[in-house]
This record gives sequence, C-alpha cells and structure tokens, in this order.
Amino acid sequence: MSLKLTRRNALTGAAALGAASLLPNGFSRPAAAQDSTLGVFGPLPPDPAPPGAAKFAGAEFDAWKAANGADVKYDLVAWPQLHDRMATAFASGSAPWDVMYNCGWVPEFESFLLPFVDDLPKELVDDMPGSSFSTVTWNGKRYGAIFTLSLLTLFYNKEHLDEAGLGAPPKDWDEFLRYTKELTRDGRYGFVSNYGDPAGIGGTASYWMAFLQQAGGTMYAEDGSPAFNTEAGVAALQMMIDLQAAGTDPGSISYVGINDATNVLLSGRASMMMNWPFMWKPAQDPKGSQVVGKLAASVLPAGPAGTASIDGTDAWTIGKSTKDAEKARKLIEFYLDPAIQKKQALDTGWLPIRLSVLNDPDVQATMPLAKVVLDQAQHPYDSFVTPDYNEISQAVGTEIQKALQGQKTAAEAIAEAETLASAIIARRG
Amino acid sequence: MSSTSFERRRRRAGLLFVAPAAIVLLAILAYPIVESFILSTQSVRLVAGGVTKEWNSFANYIRLAGDETFRRAVVNTMIFSFGEVALVVSIGLAVALLLNHPLGRWGFFRIMLVVPWAIAPVANAVLWKWILNSNYGILNGLLKSLGLIEYYQVWLARPWSAFGFLLLIDVWKSVPFIALLLLAGLQRVPQSLYKAAYMDGAGRWQAFRHVTLPTMRSALAIAVVLQTIWSLRVFEIIFVLTRGGPADATVLMNFLAYRVTFNFLDIGYGAAIANIIFALTFLLAITYVWLMQPRKRRISS
Amino acid sequence: MSFASARSRDRGFRVLVVVGLILFVVWSAAPILWLIVSSLMQQQALIVQPPDFSLGNFTLENFTEVIVSAAALGRGILNSFIVALFSTAVALVIGAPAAYALARLAVPRANALAFLVLATQMLPGIAIAIPLFLVISRLGLIDNVLALGLVYLSFNLPIVIWILRGFFLAIPEGIEKAAAVDGAGVVGTFLHIVLPISIPPLGAAAVFAFVEAWNEFFFALILTRQDAQTVPLVIAQFAGQYQTLFGQMMAAAAISIAPVIALAIIFRNQIVRGFADGMMKG
Repeated sequence: MSLKLTRRNALTGAAALGAASLLPNGFSRPAAAQDSTLGVFGPLPPDPAPPGAAKFAGAEFDAWKAANGADVKYDLVAWPQLHDRMATAFASGSAPWDVMYNCGWVPEFESFLLPFVDDLPKELVDDMPGSSFSTVTWNGKRYGAIFTLSLLTLFYNKEHLDEAGLGAPPKDWDEFLRYTKELTRDGRYGFVSNYGDPAGIGGTASYWMAFLQQAGGTMYAEDGSPAFNTEAGVAALQMMIDLQAAGTDPGSISYVGINDATNVLLSGRASMMMNWPFMWKPAQDPKGSQVVGKLAASVLPAGPAGTASIDGTDAWTIGKSTKDAEKARKLIEFYLDPAIQKKQALDTGWLPIRLSVLNDPDVQATMPLAKVVLDQAQHPYDSFVTPDYNEISQAVGTEIQKALQGQKTAAEAIAEAETLASAIIARRG
Repeated sequence: MSSTSFERRRRRAGLLFVAPAAIVLLAILAYPIVESFILSTQSVRLVAGGVTKEWNSFANYIRLAGDETFRRAVVNTMIFSFGEVALVVSIGLAVALLLNHPLGRWGFFRIMLVVPWAIAPVANAVLWKWILNSNYGILNGLLKSLGLIEYYQVWLARPWSAFGFLLLIDVWKSVPFIALLLLAGLQRVPQSLYKAAYMDGAGRWQAFRHVTLPTMRSALAIAVVLQTIWSLRVFEIIFVLTRGGPADATVLMNFLAYRVTFNFLDIGYGAAIANIIFALTFLLAITYVWLMQPRKRRISS
Repeated sequence: MSFASARSRDRGFRVLVVVGLILFVVWSAAPILWLIVSSLMQQQALIVQPPDFSLGNFTLENFTEVIVSAAALGRGILNSFIVALFSTAVALVIGAPAAYALARLAVPRANALAFLVLATQMLPGIAIAIPLFLVISRLGLIDNVLALGLVYLSFNLPIVIWILRGFFLAIPEGIEKAAAVDGAGVVGTFLHIVLPISIPPLGAAAVFAFVEAWNEFFFALILTRQDAQTVPLVIAQFAGQYQTLFGQMMAAAAISIAPVIALAIIFRNQIVRGFADGMMKG
C-alpha cells in the first residue's frame, strides 16, 4: 500500500517538472525582461569583450546608459564556452539575449537573429570594409556588425630574419618555404602553427582555407555545393605539407589552441607564425613574452593567385526575440562609435573595424599592425562560413591532419574531404 | 506465506526510507532522461527562431552503424574503459593497502589522497596540457635533464602516445576516490580474521587472498562499476588536450556525443550516441555486478 | 623457519611499504607541485626551454591579480560551498536510509531498484543537458544556487546510495537481529547501530559528493549566469580563445583547492577511520 502511495507521489513530482517543460517561455525571466534593460551576451576579457567589461571606455559606457535610459546586463563567459551556451539556449527554443556576440556562427544561428544592418546609419556602414559583411550575411540578409578587423597576417621575428641574412619578410610561397628552412636552426623552428583542432575559425581547416584562396581556389560553387577538390585545393594542402617538411615545429599537430603555438613564437623558439591582430599587444608584454620589440608583421606570402587571408568574424548581432530592437541597435552603434573604436584600439589592442579609425595616425602609431591588416584587407579573406561550418571544418580539418601526418597524400585527403563535405550538405538538405 | 510482524514492519519502514530519494530522482531526472531517448529518435532542427522535432524512425541509429568516426569512438572507448578500470582499481587497491598499513596511517597521506581529486578538472586538464607540451613542457625538460630522452618529444602527436597520456591523466585523477572507497572497505576487515589466518600459518599473500579479497568483494564491485560508468563519460581532458585528435585518434564516445550535439547542433544524432553510451554502460555494469556477486546459496529464513 | 629470517622478512616488507608510500606521494604530489610552482612564476619564464627558474621570475603577481581582478572568485567559492554542502548533506540524509532500505529492509525488487537508481547516472550528462536546461529555465530557476544544488543532488544521490548499499549489505545480519530482540525499532537500529559502524563509507561518500559538486563544470556553465557562478567557471575564465593566462589560472586553481584541503584536514579522521573492527565482531 505504501509502495503505491510512494510511486504516486513520485510520479506526481515528475509530472510537475515534466509539465514545466510545456510552460510557455514567458514564465521564465530572461535577462532582458525589464523593459529598459538590455541583455548582452559575449566573451570575457582577454578576448574581445565589450566596453565596461573589458578595460576601455567605461566612463563613456556609463554616459551612454544614462543618456539612453537603458541598463545593460552583461552575461559574459570565457570564449571557448560561448558556443555551448548559445547552442543550449537555442536548442531549447529560446534566445534570451538582446545583443549577442557571434563568431562565424551567423548562418548557423540565423533563425534566432534579427537582420538589422540595413537600419544602421549609412555613414557607419560606409566606414566599414564592404567585405567585412560577408561572414554575417546569410540568405541575402545582413545580421551582424563586425567590430574588430581581425585577419590572419604573418608575424615574424625580425632578429631571427636578420641573423639569417633575410632582410624582408617572405613575399611568396617559394620564399616562405625557403625562409622556413633557413630559419630552422639553433634549436629553433622556422614556422609554428596550431593544427591540433581541425574545426572552427582558427582551426586546421581554416588555415588551409587561407592557403586555398592564395592558390586561387574557393570552397563552394555558386549553388553552394563543395568545389574545392581542384588543383588549387590540393596545392594549398601541399604547401602546408611542404612547410611542415621545411621546418614547422613538429609540435604544431598537437597544439589545439592558438595560444599553445603563440607561446612558441613568444619564447623565440619559432621565427614565423600566422596570427591574429589580438596577439600583437600581449607579444609586447615582457611578463609573457621573450620577444618584446622583436616582432614584425606582414601580409601573408602570396600563392599563385596572390595573398589572401581569412576573417576572424567577431561581430555583434541582435536576438530575434528582443523587446527593443532599436535600443539594441543603438547599443551596437555605440560600440562602433569612432571614439569608442579608437579607445578599443588604444586600450585593448583589438583593432577597430571603421576605416577612418584604422587610418587614424594615433592608432597607427600605437598599433603599427593596423597598416598591415589594412593591406591584407585589400585582398580576399573569406572564411566560408555556412550553417554547417563546424561540421564541415571538422571533416575537412581531420583529412588535412591525416595528410600532415603522412597518412594520405594531399590529393587523397582533399578528394575525401570533398566527399565528406558533400554528404554533410546533402544531409542538411 | 505469512510474514511476521517484524518483517512487515521492516518492509513498511523500507518503503518510507526509499521514498524521498526516489521522489528526488524522479522529479529531477525522469523527464530529461525520457526526453533524451525521444530526441534520439527524432530529427531536430533550429528553424525560424524555434526548434522543430520530427520522428525519423530510428534513422539516427541506422546512421550510426555506417559512421566511421563513431565506430572508431566505440573501439577507443572500450579500450579506454577496460584499461582505466583495470589500472584505477589495481592502483587504488595498492594505495588503499599502503594507507591501511600501520606505517601509512598518518593523516598526511589521506590528505594527499584528496588533493589531485580536488583540483577543478578544467584547471587539471590545462595543467597537464602544459606539462606535456612538446616545446616548453616540464615533462620533456625533466626527462632530458635526466638523460632519458635526447630530443623533446611530441607526446600528443602519435595516436597511441596521445591515447596513453589521456589514459594516464584520467587514471591519476580517478585513483584517489577509488583508493578512498577501498580503504573504507579494508577497514571493515576484522583484524581477528588476520590473526586467525596467521595462527594457521598463512603467509601475507595467502592472508590477502583468503581474508582481504573475499571481505573486500563488495567494495571492489562498487569500485569497478562506478569506475566503468565514469570511464565512459570522459570528456574534459579530451576537450582541452587533443580535441579528439590528431585525426580523430583520441575520440571517445562521450566527446563525440558532445561534438555532434553542441558543435554540429545535430541534436537527435547526438542523443542517439548518448543512448548507445547508456546501453553500453548498462551492459558492462550489469555484467560486472553479476560476475562479482558472491556465489553463495541464499538461505531463506 | 627461523625466527631471525621471519623478522628480516618483516623488515623487508616494511621497506617495501615505505617505498610504496614514497611512490604514492610522488605520484600524487608531483603535478600539484608543478601547479604551485607555475602559479608563482611569470609566463615568459615558463614558455622557454627549459623553464627559467631564476629567482627574479618568481612572483606573487598571479595571486594578487586573481584576487584583485576576479571578485568573481570569492563569489564562486561561496557559491560552490553552498552548492556542495547542500547537495552533500541532502544526499547523505536521504541517501543513507534509502541505501539501508535497499540493502536490508525487504523492499520488493530491491536489487533491480538499486540498479535502476544507478542507471540514472549511465546516460552522459550532455544528453540530459538540453532538456534539463529547458525545465529549469521555464521554472525561472536559471542562475539559482539551490536549483544547481538540486541538479547536483540528483547526480550524487545515486552514487551515494550505491556506495552505502554495498557496505550495508556486508553488515552481519546478527547485529540487527540482536537489536530487534533488545526491542529497538527499525529506525533506532539504523540510527544507533548501523550508522555508527558505517562511518568510513559515509565519509567516502560525503567526500565524493562534496568534491564532485565543488568541481562540476558543464551544468554550472549552462544553468548559471553571473550570480550563481561556481568556482570552476571562474577558473575557466583564464583560458580564452587567444590567450591562456596560465599562471593566473593555476593560482585560481590553487586557491580553489584550499577550502577542500582545509576540510580534508579537519575531517581527516572521519574520512576513513579504523574503529569499525571492534563493533563489527558484533
């Protein structure tokens, strides 16, 4: 008798919680619930966090909130956890933030985002590189505003190059290979990279995409089907394999994060690395770097089709379920205000996205890198993000890893990668 | 059969004793567990600011059968699980025996047991990543200064080496609790039994085999079953150290389930992988429980 | 066999035990030692080959920066403490009787039930994360310390029950029979006879529940925002996309183990203790 009672109680309890899952969403209290509060989701410093969270433009941020009668509630997590948190929220059918950071995930999360770029002031849009919108556009709609120009460029150790009698940075693939070989000496490596994580922007596949564009190739045909099993696709991978043989730190295949590889550059045990503008400032900090004042940067060495890079795509987007799209957009406009952009560059070392600020003499004096990145931006820098980007870069990057480890030839790996990518796209329909 | 009032009283008390725990577990876990199974039979998509779920007649499970990465993950997981359970339980038992010896009863040793385990797994994984780094890792530095290696090694580059180090790290992290558990078990072995055994002229080994091990049977069974469950859930160290690489060599099932669910947002397929983990764990656990059951005839009263 | 040789064999065994204990300490402590050393060093000294241990590279800066810049750490420790204490206490209070009932009290299908309880832990956490998030967010309990504590309770409880049940099963039946003859009720027998002789497994189970809740990462990540953040989330903040502030991360980790170690020192005699023997003979 007691047993039945117990079971009934227990089932009631379970049913109560199960029923909770059927409740309408309004029952919960998302960060944005109060009318004048904007919920903002993004990364914590040292990754590119917004004003007021990272140490820049705090006073201006407070002034903006007061002037607009808005409160801003930051919900920030460490960068590597951003995607998990967004995926969990979206998979439960809710987008609890007004403004959120996105990094190459716009096509994937498209249905939870609001296209707002057409409502931005024209002078702002005109002041941003037109191609910076390519990674935040999907199905013809523009969902995000990039807030920092973040392209891969070549970081190199001037001292090492001088010692080896190499005056200028490598201009093309042949020089790149020759430099790597000549700089691999005295217990150092000519080149270092992080090939440990195949997927995502900054993963193995994305490095290959930079080489792919340098070779004149592309990922997708007009109709969206994979089109990289070409001479260019194979040549790009062969270049990575050749670099490996010429003197890439053999640990590169085991470095899963860019910081693992950057440490090798910053300890002076590697001479060249493809890196993001964010790393410039930490590299000048004597607490973490042995190469203060010794680094320089240049555009990536040109392949058969010239130089090319990929886009880091750090963007602000607006959640579809926001109650105040206008205020959310205003906040993004504030983040992109020239004065704020300038502070961002000077105080944090993250380059601005506005061309006027990138060309600002103060910014260029403090961040000599700005000029190099602007040069790089004159050339292609597509990251080829699609809704399947994670899955496709995982599959392609894994094949590239196999080729880098000598399990497959470049041609075999690229052919297999295209087969896998086609299957992924077909499955999504 | 008529039961005595003693037995009736015990049965009623038993149900009362079980009730709160049963209610808590049902209330919190019943829905997510059932839902996870349902998800595994659905095709889930994020569309138009919402989620659509469609029954797809076990297509996820059928797809698993042809998925090469999944097959690899299953093999890796089985090797990892058997290796880990064997190593953790035997090292844990050795540690427990050491700490139960009069020389090992100093409280310091028991605190040493808690320390590796108390480090946040996130920090632990990053710590080991740095220890094993091929360029500036302390393990390379140490081995080279001892003259054991000539060149710095890329420990995480070769599949078996990477796999072995992941196993080692997880064993290191798992031994403390199992040792603690077995130590608790050891302390219930009555000293009088040992005295009797030694009086009969038994040596240390014989005493261990015929007195210690039989009394420890239930503690060992608990250790084996729990460690099996945990060995099939390994995630953090793979996420931080190898991301399943190089070239998927260190992909374990739980990591794959994570990747498919949270990176690829292929939620139904991820749930199918998770449910296979569940089935596998269930089978292994029930087998171990059966194998380690005392083979005695139950005397019914 | 002569007395002398027996004694020398005895000495040989003691040497073996001492060597084993030393190995055990080295095995457990070496990585921790490295954690502490690196938390006291500047990053530039750690990325060179071999690490540069000159005195000038040692600094307390990692600790001061962690403490100054992360007010979150203090809150994280407090939240972890609440969550861990709550889930451990409740898991023991309702888990011990349940385990006892499933071991000794003639609950119908006790074996199957016990296995079912354990089976709730066989589905990997990531599989239940999304549905659980859904429920908790619809209840408006995201970023609530007690909600997180309840979730941890549901993870720890089955393990606690399973551990304790195994130990209760091994209690000689005579003890309870004798108590019943003396007129003790079921509850009295449980409280006054069974629990006191079960301190070692109770201690092991308590340490388990506490440490697991203290360190759990994934559910803390998805079920909390800023207010209910626990310690592992704060520690994870030092590993970003572009940079890992390794020294600071290790400093934060060192600070976060301190409370657990303090508890271990206070309760070192309760964690496992050797007094069961006398009572066990019953």
